[in-house]
Amino acid sequence: MNMDVFILFFNAFMTTVLSSAVVIWILRKQYLPVIRQLEAEEEEAEDSSMESDRKKEASK
Amino acid sequence: MTAVIFFVVLALYVIIGGFVARLVKNKDDFYVMGERGSTVLIVGTLAATYLSAVTLLGIAGQSYAEGPLVIAALGSFGAWIGTLLAVIYIGRKMKALGCKTMPDFFEKRFKNKSVSIISLIIMIIGLLGYGVIQLIGAGLVLSEVTGISFPFMIVLFTIALLVFCALGGMYGVVVTDTIMLFTMLAISCIIAPMIIGQAGFADMKALADTIPFYWSIEGAEQRPLGWSISQFLVWILFFACTPALVSRVFPAKNDFVILKAAVIGVFLAPFMQVIVFLAAGGMRVLEPGIENTDNVMVIGFLNHVPATLGGIGLAGLMASIMSTASTLFVLTGFALARDLYENVYGKKMSDEKGLLAGRYAQIIVAIIVCAIAIARPSAIYWISIYAGAIFAVGWLPTVVGGLEWKRMNSKAAVGSMLIGTTSFVVIDELARREFITLPVHIDSLMISFAAGVISLIVIGLLTKPNQYEMDYFKEMKQTSLSTKTINDILKQENGAAKLKKEYKQTMVISISFIGVAAVVWGYFLMMLG
Repeated sequence: MNMDVFILFFNAFMTTVLSSAVVIWILRKQYLPVIRQLEAEEEEAEDSSMESDRKKEASK
Repeated sequence: MTAVIFFVVLALYVIIGGFVARLVKNKDDFYVMGERGSTVLIVGTLAATYLSAVTLLGIAGQSYAEGPLVIAALGSFGAWIGTLLAVIYIGRKMKALGCKTMPDFFEKRFKNKSVSIISLIIMIIGLLGYGVIQLIGAGLVLSEVTGISFPFMIVLFTIALLVFCALGGMYGVVVTDTIMLFTMLAISCIIAPMIIGQAGFADMKALADTIPFYWSIEGAEQRPLGWSISQFLVWILFFACTPALVSRVFPAKNDFVILKAAVIGVFLAPFMQVIVFLAAGGMRVLEPGIENTDNVMVIGFLNHVPATLGGIGLAGLMASIMSTASTLFVLTGFALARDLYENVYGKKMSDEKGLLAGRYAQIIVAIIVCAIAIARPSAIYWISIYAGAIFAVGWLPTVVGGLEWKRMNSKAAVGSMLIGTTSFVVIDELARREFITLPVHIDSLMISFAAGVISLIVIGLLTKPNQYEMDYFKEMKQTSLSTKTINDILKQENGAAKLKKEYKQTMVISISFIGVAAVVWGYFLMMLG
């Protein structure tokens, strides 16, 4: 194996790995908490609507 | 045949540029295409601007003569890392602050005329010097190939650039860049692999038997490893702060577009370059005796692929010249009209008048570029030595200091810009006239960058920021592009679902491109390792 040739293609590969890693880090740090919060709010809203449906059923 | 291809391709680009100009309705469209840039358009303009004639002519020639690893293994690696920094660090931060041009940042951060004027002078010298010399170099090669006289060719290029820049502004540049990228990709995906296929991997590897060190980082000239490492560092600094790349993110629709463009664009940079450099190595097998090595890829297009593909190759070469030149010149026009006339001189103009001023500035730049390129005064060659790298020594310390350091102030910015740029020219001139000898692993750019950083820190510690600078720093630290993007998307109908979709899409692209890169570079390693 020619090590200099390996360095060229390793560097080309690592460039993409680095850019993807940085983007994934930004997504997880800056976007994921907001998305999780939105999902929790959605679940909460769903639960409360099911609860009110159940109460309506019971009152009938 | 080649002249016909030249005229047809140029006419095609001009027609598309003229059509796009109809979409420009106001100043915002002209400067940042109304911030409507999709992922395809931002990737297109980023990758097309990155790949200049330097790759297809100068570095391809060096790869042919000394070996494909000499520049690619470390120097180009620095350029790829620099591009990532330009987009994801500096570009994103500036867009979050609402900058429409890079000088906007200096204006917002310091509100100081000296800083604004010095940064504008650096920008105009840097962009014009670097752009004109590329136009001259590539124009001379194309003139030789097509038989069209050099002055006539420059006039034609200027008319085309006028259509993109004066009529279309950033809209024209981004759309034509994206279309041009496809001809450049044809070189990397079809034409260069055909040349490599004709040469054969085995014969290419065997070049090392007849030309010692051909497949090494030192290359046939046996350059010291220290030189390659210094090139790596220099190219990181060069690309991280060059307005041509940083400003590509300003027209983007939102943060997700920038993140996706960063992954795809930074994959395309080595993909487009390395395959061309390998094809230049293949040309050493097919035609070992080329004397004017700058023409190696042009000879490959004309002699070693079918005529139609050769024509597309020439169109790709033209695209690499025009896409880089159009970006450099449109930004120079913006610097004159928006940053100098409107911001520094405080000329408040209506939307309509501002758009007109922007177009007049583009016409002025085009006339200057055309005159310099045809006259070719010796001074332009001298300026071009320093023009491209001037942003690394003149702007980068101030930009990073301005973004990250609480004590950063206008005095430190002025000191750093002046000391960085003057020391760069003085040290390099002394070295070229042999008054001093620089170690082989130290480039004059590295010394002057260090001088700029040290002067910035010393002046910053000895002086204090004023109230405006302290307030803006606090405000800046509370501003983020992700928050702005989240708020904008959640305002839309089904905002939460759209946000999740964008998140997933960006994540999938990030992960899948690691796989694509592994396959592409793994294949070449198996064949040439």
